[in-house]
Amino acid sequence: MELPETQLAVLEAASATEARTIDRLAADTGYEPEAVTGAAFGLEEAGLLDIEADTEIELVVSDEGDRYRHEGLPEVRLYQAATAAEADPVPISEAIGAAGLDGPEVDIALANFARKGYGEIDEGAITVEPDADPAADPEAAALDAIATGDATPAEEVRNRLVERGLVERIEHTRRRVQVTDEGVTALMSGIEAESAVGQVTPELLTSSEWQDAEFAEYNVEAAADQTPPGRVHVLRAIAERVKEVLVGMGFQEMQGPHVDADFWINDCLFMPQDHPARTHWDRFAMSVPTAIDSLPEDLLKRVERAHREGVGEDGDGYHSPWDEDFARALALRGHTTSLSTRYLSGEAIGEIDPPARFFSVEKAYRNDTLDATHLLEFFQIEGWVMAEDLSVRDLMGTFEEFYAQFGIHDIEFKPHYNPYTEPSFELFGEHPETGEMIEIGNSGIFREEMLQPLGVDADVMAWGLALERLAMLLTGADDIRDLHGTLADIDFLRTAEVTY
Amino acid sequence: MPVVDIDPDELRRLTGTDKDDDELLDDLFALGLEFEGRTDDDAFELEFAPDRLDRLSVEGIARSLRYQYGQDRGVYVPNLNDPEWTIEVDATVPDERPYVTGAVIRGVNLDEEGLESLIQLQEKLHATMGRGRAKGAIGIHDLTMLKGERLTDDSGGSRIRYTGVDPDGDTFVPLDADAEMTPQQVLEEHPIGDKYASIVAEYDVMPAIYDELGLFSFPPVINGARTEVTTNSRELFVEMTGTDQWTIDHMLAIVCYALDARGATVEAVTVDYDDANAGEYAGTQLERPDLSVRTKTVTHDRIETMLGVDLDPEEVIDLAERAGLDAERVDTDDGLVYDVRVPPYRVDVLHPVDVIDDLGRAFGFNELTPRYPDVSTVGKRHERSRLEEAVRTTLVGMGFEDTLNFHMSNEANTFERMRLPIPVPGEFDRTDNTVEIADWRGAHAERSVSEDVVGVAVPPTIKEPYSEEYTILRTWALPSLLMVLERNTHRTYPQDLAEIGLVAGVDPTENTGVAEWRSVAGVLARHDASYEDARGRLQALTQAFGVDLATPATEHPSFIDGRAADVVIDGTVAGVVGEFHPAVLVEHDLEVPVVGFELELSALR
Repeated sequence: MELPETQLAVLEAASATEARTIDRLAADTGYEPEAVTGAAFGLEEAGLLDIEADTEIELVVSDEGDRYRHEGLPEVRLYQAATAAEADPVPISEAIGAAGLDGPEVDIALANFARKGYGEIDEGAITVEPDADPAADPEAAALDAIATGDATPAEEVRNRLVERGLVERIEHTRRRVQVTDEGVTALMSGIEAESAVGQVTPELLTSSEWQDAEFAEYNVEAAADQTPPGRVHVLRAIAERVKEVLVGMGFQEMQGPHVDADFWINDCLFMPQDHPARTHWDRFAMSVPTAIDSLPEDLLKRVERAHREGVGEDGDGYHSPWDEDFARALALRGHTTSLSTRYLSGEAIGEIDPPARFFSVEKAYRNDTLDATHLLEFFQIEGWVMAEDLSVRDLMGTFEEFYAQFGIHDIEFKPHYNPYTEPSFELFGEHPETGEMIEIGNSGIFREEMLQPLGVDADVMAWGLALERLAMLLTGADDIRDLHGTLADIDFLRTAEVTY
Repeated sequence: MPVVDIDPDELRRLTGTDKDDDELLDDLFALGLEFEGRTDDDAFELEFAPDRLDRLSVEGIARSLRYQYGQDRGVYVPNLNDPEWTIEVDATVPDERPYVTGAVIRGVNLDEEGLESLIQLQEKLHATMGRGRAKGAIGIHDLTMLKGERLTDDSGGSRIRYTGVDPDGDTFVPLDADAEMTPQQVLEEHPIGDKYASIVAEYDVMPAIYDELGLFSFPPVINGARTEVTTNSRELFVEMTGTDQWTIDHMLAIVCYALDARGATVEAVTVDYDDANAGEYAGTQLERPDLSVRTKTVTHDRIETMLGVDLDPEEVIDLAERAGLDAERVDTDDGLVYDVRVPPYRVDVLHPVDVIDDLGRAFGFNELTPRYPDVSTVGKRHERSRLEEAVRTTLVGMGFEDTLNFHMSNEANTFERMRLPIPVPGEFDRTDNTVEIADWRGAHAERSVSEDVVGVAVPPTIKEPYSEEYTILRTWALPSLLMVLERNTHRTYPQDLAEIGLVAGVDPTENTGVAEWRSVAGVLARHDASYEDARGRLQALTQAFGVDLATPATEHPSFIDGRAADVVIDGTVAGVVGEFHPAVLVEHDLEVPVVGFELELSALR
């Protein structure tokens, strides 16, 4: 029997009685681990070697987590400091000082304090919830358990710790090989290094040796080592597909700032300033910088008037506070509808006459929990159509056409409520594989109170949906974090099916 | 979105139907109320969009169902008896909370379900329209426990007083307590007081309501125990205080409709505002509740164009009545219009378009046939988006794996782990055309770096981050790629990664104060990676886009000295290329050499 040199070396170095790691064989043979792995696969194919591979997931406490193990979680420290303080409620600065919190820990303490119901934070003061029991904080206990390896905490707590960056998940693949009975037999009956020609070389070609050479037969059925492919990110590919469909339907692309004034993000959308979605828990407000320099003064006045008095002869406004400073305050946009308001007002590219269709597939940001279906930043598909007279039937026809491009048919339109559209519809469509009805978007006809201040004298219908939602539908991914962000698993991206 | 708990038997009784649970749930879904599950008591948990706040109680949902079933038609307004009671609003009421409204309810039969429903309605109204009691707070009292002071005008009426009291100025026994407390003690010691203390934290005096016997309610925090409502209460005094008269009047209307549905009689109350009141009704008298019906004028043409169907006027009137509205046909010079009457509980109707939505719902939106609009427009992408795509295709052709990373990051990942000091922003000055860095902090603060170094910029910073991982917008993209490498050390090499994505820096010359641009970044991680590999890819890229590349040596702490260069495109510095410093690699748990480059996308135009 003949084998290539590397294979022979690996087979000889491997044992029939014990599974040995690739690294060990690499050390023993002097070949690179990649070469050993390649040879091992060849031997496995020939039935001479068994390969077992296992993946281990190891949970490791991060530096930050380790610090909290010794100092206590910031929110727990805050609770203890606030409980120990004389005053009730305790001024935040005092509690923070007493808890020894500094830098980003302050915000972490405040955010998690409220999330865990340790008390309330309002107007610069902390009121502790007397019934809370931070001494038994499950996240702290889980952190200890992971560090000491004593126990495996519940998945929910584990995931929370990973989200907070206190624990990291590390995946290892280990391959071990062992000589099969067949391999032992072959070794005993003697194996020689191949004498036949393997690689075709320049010498072989320039001399005429190739005419008499015997070429070694390769195992042409065996899987080959794979070079990692250069490829477009799966989510980008889907975004491209969406853009292509929309351009084909006559839509023109919009772009604009990610950090923008609440005026463009919300006020122009006729969202009252005391709307729950505009509170600090949902919104990524900026601390540096804090406010936009200038807003179109006339538009600002018209929008304020619409909020206060409504639009039209018998229109009513909101009975909500209006504060120009809030309109000027900067935030990471919570939706890309801020682009639509900038375009519709003429601010972006000058006045737009009907008919017109515009779209964007750009990022929006939500200050929300990170989990399998929610990201802090995600792509929003946003589109609108402006024309003299648009009906609900036109809206339905447009969206049926769009979703049909992705194999989603029989759209249902569920009447809904949005502050900025009327009528409004949630869109439901049938999952191409499971047949289940799932929400695939939100749509409606922009209200007069939004359009009139923007100076639009035509009907505008609009819709939005998260690109990630469409992507999960099209790829079957069930955890959005595999797709997007620095937590990405390269292997997932390398093996994801191409979308076209 | 609000969720209400509804006892299905109670719903059947108030609606007058014997449909089974499944049929009811279907009908509720048609109204937009989604079944979320059942409570421990087997009640429906129903979720709906926060427009129809009149549906926050079983009475309101029953009313909607009766319209849906055609058992009721048109606008209904409860009968309102003349006022006997007056709420006198005196000059000392806190300026921050000047408004009050009220109603007397007589002959109410509150069984357990009725009382529970009333409490739920109160809580849900607090959470929605009342904005957590800050904008409007409801107090419901047993009228028979009140002793009204005699009015001085000999009308025989009684009065209670809405006034301001020093935080320690008086005492009463609040609900869920067995001792007298001052308002201040309630805020500090009572669990409910504790919860709402923030609303009145800045008030000089506390809102208070008195009858002849003394203090009996401390809005918006808590009522007194004396006037507590029980299943034995037959007569109620409902008062609401707040920061806006319209809001509390409409919360009151919703409560009055709910109690009217249980057979109670609503009696008006006079609200008598002192001249010195901080609100807009100072010196006037209002009669409340305000159950007046508003009118919206809707044109026939608009109804047809918006729904996309032709309708007879009779049909429109019929649809309106089925929606609980009344439409009166008016022929004008401009064509056919309808004066549509809207009942006071419909707080969501702001504009005639809201009436059209109601007509559409009554018609059944899913009855409409979709049609593709006959509107022709030209589609196109903007230039940056096309350029980005072309660069991405080129990079992928060179074997780069395209990645997609978060724009948000933190200072450790963006600066410290890359051996950069963290810039501390100086005075944010709109007149100054440079971004001033006042100081440096962090582990590498002692390192003196040029402010021109790629990656060094004051990062746009988030005020209240959810996590320590996401506190700023990244100022450059290479740190994100190193983090992806860090996460994937167990995966097959080579790992050649690229990203075209947003980066940003504080810039006072921008209107938003933030300069945002797309950056092209690439890394090559392999056992034999060298500076030349990065320079080679960069060369191919710039050649493909027809721009001139020069790479004069530079100093950048993230790279090995002598192996880093500025990326100069057509004479302008646009980025950096180099071999990463071993300290950066070790920091990212990497055991192979890594080289990389980053440049502004616009430099390739």
